[in-house]
Amino acid sequence: MTTPAWASGVCAGIHAAGSRDVVYVPDNPLSHVLRELDARFRDIRLLLATREEEAFGIAAGLYLGGRLPTVMLQSSGLGNSLNALTSLLLPYEIPVLAVVSMRGDAGEWNAAQVPMGRAVRSIFDAIGVPHATVESADSAGETVRLAGTTAFGTRRMGACLLPRRVTTGTTGVRPPGGSQTGSDPVVPS
Amino acid sequence: MTRLEATRVIAGLAGDAPIVASLGHPAYDLFAAGDRPGNFYTWGSMGLASSIGLGLALARPDIRVFVLDGDGSLLMNLGSLATIGLLRPANLVLVVMDNEEYATTGGQKTPTAHGADLDAAARAMGVPRTATVRTAAELGDVTRPDRGGEGPAVIIAKVSESAPTGKPPLDGVFIKQRFMSALGNPESATSGTLL
Repeated sequence: MTTPAWASGVCAGIHAAGSRDVVYVPDNPLSHVLRELDARFRDIRLLLATREEEAFGIAAGLYLGGRLPTVMLQSSGLGNSLNALTSLLLPYEIPVLAVVSMRGDAGEWNAAQVPMGRAVRSIFDAIGVPHATVESADSAGETVRLAGTTAFGTRRMGACLLPRRVTTGTTGVRPPGGSQTGSDPVVPS
Repeated sequence: MTRLEATRVIAGLAGDAPIVASLGHPAYDLFAAGDRPGNFYTWGSMGLASSIGLGLALARPDIRVFVLDGDGSLLMNLGSLATIGLLRPANLVLVVMDNEEYATTGGQKTPTAHGADLDAAARAMGVPRTATVRTAAELGDVTRPDRGGEGPAVIIAKVSESAPTGKPPLDGVFIKQRFMSALGNPESATSGTLL
């Protein structure tokens, strides 16, 4: 399977930020990143957690042990993580790079994903976590790298958001009678 | 044994090894047993002490890592046992101070007062070494460094409640920085990598 350009960029950005530990709770688009990390970034350790809050706790321990951790999660998992962020990572100034696969934004098909998806940026703003959005596949690597180096340099957690229009291409327009340019928007992902 | 007695057993045998304490009474007792830079006191993030210890154990396989958790706290993050059973860092010792109540919040009974068995849960999640102990001698025996055996240990210490006598430092950044320095991986004085 060919790795999408955005996913290769995310992997390169994590690596370039100096992170060698990725704690994750799986998500469909993130599966591309996980496969690429496993195949081509063998010096990065992948650690599965059962819940996003747990992932941030493990990441905090990794940092205390001298590592620069990344947590990968779906935006729905931010809701599961808020106590870890507000009562551990932020007051103790434990930097983690959070890579957030967005749900509930443009291209979403599942209404249950919408309220949290829409609230992600407001929540990060409210608790004081800087966040950047990957605007295109080509800029994914640099956006992730900058979010990571800023977080680890300033010792403040930072987040990098991956919108669905980048990760799933579900907003691609199909020309009448022409070839398909985006994946079929009715297929759940 | 009281929780403070159990805490003193772990503090006594830890040597220079780091100890991560869950918020509330476990952290207060660790402070009372002897404040030291290698103590990481949490003031929030209930349930995550075992996760912090797991991450630290993975980052630093060269040292033993002790966690002082509570039964109520571990029940809030029971999935942690599955992750410990999956990743199995041999240097992690998770001690659950099981007083069968939420002592910090007024003594409400936890499910372990009604038969919930955290030792069995740890075994069922693939943790290779588990034990339930009721005396300081038993606790010292199952946690001593030459005890041997492969993989992490989850020890359920059945303890009675004892009123805490002191509170640890409140500043999380202070706690973190002296902890990391004690471990030999201090945060750099400058702000990270020169770009």
